[in-house]
Amino acid sequence: MDGNFEIIAQVLFWGIYSGCIYILLATGLNLIFGVMKIVNFAHGEFLMLGTYITFFLFIMSGFNPYVLLCASIPLLVVIGIIVERLCFRPILGTGKLNEIFVSIGLIYIIQNLVARIWTDEWKTIQSPYRDITLDLGVIYVPLDYLIIMAVTAILLIGLYLFLHKTWIGTAIRATSQDRAGAMLMGINVERMDMITFGIGAALAGAAGTLWAVSGQVFNPYMGSIPAIKAFAIIILGGLGSIPGAIIGGLAVGLVENGAAYTLGGAWKDAVSFILLIIVLIIRPTGLFGEDEE
Amino acid sequence: MPYHDTVTDMKQGISYCILVSILIMGTLLFSGCTEQSAPETTETIKIGVVASMSGPASTTGKDIWQSAELAANEINADGGVLVKELNKKIPITLVQGDDESTREGGIKAVSKLITQDNVDLLVGGYSSAVVSAHQSIVADNKVPYIISGGSSTAVSHRDDIDTSYMFFHRPNTDDSAKASVIFINEVVRPEIYKKFNLPEDRPLRVALIFQDSPFGKGQQEAVLHLIKEMDLPIEIVAEETFKMGESDFRTTLTSVKSKKPDLIYAVTFLNELIPLTQQAKRDVGMNTLILSIENNDDPDYYTGVGEYGDYTLMESRFSPYAIPKGSTSEMTKQFLDNFKQKYGGFAGMMGAATYESIYIATKAIEEAGTTEKGAVQKTLSDLTTDHMMEVMKDGKITFSPDYHESSFDLYVEQMKIDPAVGEIRPSIVWPESIKEKGFEIPDWYQPGST
Repeated sequence: MDGNFEIIAQVLFWGIYSGCIYILLATGLNLIFGVMKIVNFAHGEFLMLGTYITFFLFIMSGFNPYVLLCASIPLLVVIGIIVERLCFRPILGTGKLNEIFVSIGLIYIIQNLVARIWTDEWKTIQSPYRDITLDLGVIYVPLDYLIIMAVTAILLIGLYLFLHKTWIGTAIRATSQDRAGAMLMGINVERMDMITFGIGAALAGAAGTLWAVSGQVFNPYMGSIPAIKAFAIIILGGLGSIPGAIIGGLAVGLVENGAAYTLGGAWKDAVSFILLIIVLIIRPTGLFGEDEE
Repeated sequence: MPYHDTVTDMKQGISYCILVSILIMGTLLFSGCTEQSAPETTETIKIGVVASMSGPASTTGKDIWQSAELAANEINADGGVLVKELNKKIPITLVQGDDESTREGGIKAVSKLITQDNVDLLVGGYSSAVVSAHQSIVADNKVPYIISGGSSTAVSHRDDIDTSYMFFHRPNTDDSAKASVIFINEVVRPEIYKKFNLPEDRPLRVALIFQDSPFGKGQQEAVLHLIKEMDLPIEIVAEETFKMGESDFRTTLTSVKSKKPDLIYAVTFLNELIPLTQQAKRDVGMNTLILSIENNDDPDYYTGVGEYGDYTLMESRFSPYAIPKGSTSEMTKQFLDNFKQKYGGFAGMMGAATYESIYIATKAIEEAGTTEKGAVQKTLSDLTTDHMMEVMKDGKITFSPDYHESSFDLYVEQMKIDPAVGEIRPSIVWPESIKEKGFEIPDWYQPGST
């Protein structure tokens, strides 16, 4: 019984870890969708860029990879702003098909650029804390995963405070709720789009850094599957809802790992979509979605 | 039109121009990704190289392509391939077919190689799933294809299509599973039982972790079949699958750990074995042995896995760092040196097999005296030539009459950290005839449930 409890606790722990990566990725995607109402299939490429920027800075500086978040997040904000300004702003409001094709084009461009710069071979980096394990009473867990969970929580709290306690955050929320109304109130909605896209890309980039630090391999093509799952999560949680992305991300992480344990790893991807279908049948707007979405 | 609308339109126009420029620049920049060696004369032998130049298996794909290029350069430097019907030597031109590590990509690449590039012969192919998807195109067009991957018997033993033009220069899943299982039973089991004083009637507990693909399932079936057929004292305590390209094995390994195995038998690709090994040791805290199979014997494994690869085992047929004694060792050293000189790194097993495949192809053309596909196919069917780098049964490369498979002498390596390079390096520990060192059980090892 004790042994079983330990295993269940361990599987739940891995589920929460996976959930943290999904939460950051999906929150960024949902923030962008909430404000700009665009569908960016290239969102997974920001995660991939986060892994490579961390890798590059780690190799160049030898700094602690967690500290490198301070560099990778601003860099991803800048990249996000450039992408929004050059690729999405010109087509905003011209139809979903344009957004889809621009984002698909971006996938190939970013993947090939990264492959050109860093080659397409699989890469890994190692955390300086990789050999430290902590006793949580029920299970032993590597310190890195606790740091990853703490960093995710800090980033989400930071995002909450930014959105609720700053003027720009209030303006972003206003733009998300009523774009025309926000414009009439003097808010520069295009600037809000740009800032939001930058923050969304940075959250995905942070997920990439945490992905790399946890010792997972990465190459230029690794962003597509997480991006598809992030879409499933935001539909599951409710389009445009940040609490929905958090709950959805955690749910997908837990369900995937539960399925890997009970049904086998081959079922991991399928169950997230089974969960999505079940939620949509019961609640078509997703867990936290509003009717008009 | 109001002034600000005009300005907005102009701004939008500029942005569109920038976007279009980026797209065009991107297209131009990356159109060189599939650059091929250009024919120097109008008469040339076109060999299509099917390799995963992009996607999850791109590391192996690059190894395949570079090794093919090395072989072609050597042959061309010697004047080319003697074609008797033309009474002269003809150079080789390689044409790259990127299967993108997907079934659909493979179909597209092979169709293009055959119908647009009009290749005389094909070599390469890695994943069984990808190869099986484009086999029917090769069968329909009757182009000789020397396949250095696609190890599943579901690929080479299929009877729903005509495989007479396909030649498999690799051990199939039954062969590699047999070598691994015999090694486990004859070497690993006695050592563990002696060290831990385990009762002889206790079966060795083995956990199978395999890719959910024809390659993985082929190995799984072969292992289960061999244990039963040979009545071996081995119990499979876990059978866990994972999706191709998986990088998170933590829960799978937690499940495996709960079954208390003595050894993990991992059927993976390179990009899967590295995180699997690291996560087993670092995250799940498993103090057990991991045995993987030959396709992972690649320089990137030794670099990527780090210290977590210490004492791991690998069934192999070609290694960048362990060269079996005998008639193949000189050529292997030469190949590795030439490869390093040209590309600045080490070739892997798939590279070696492809390098040999190019030589096999040219030998067949020379013996046929023509590039006519039917004649080349017939020559390949009857071909017997000396082995080159990979050790073959009886020292000869020849394709079996039933399924056109060549037959290898396989071996098992054990990895140990080499402090001089800070990476693991292999030593051959089985079979007795070529072993460099004895198999060792590490101090941290703990057997499964007693």
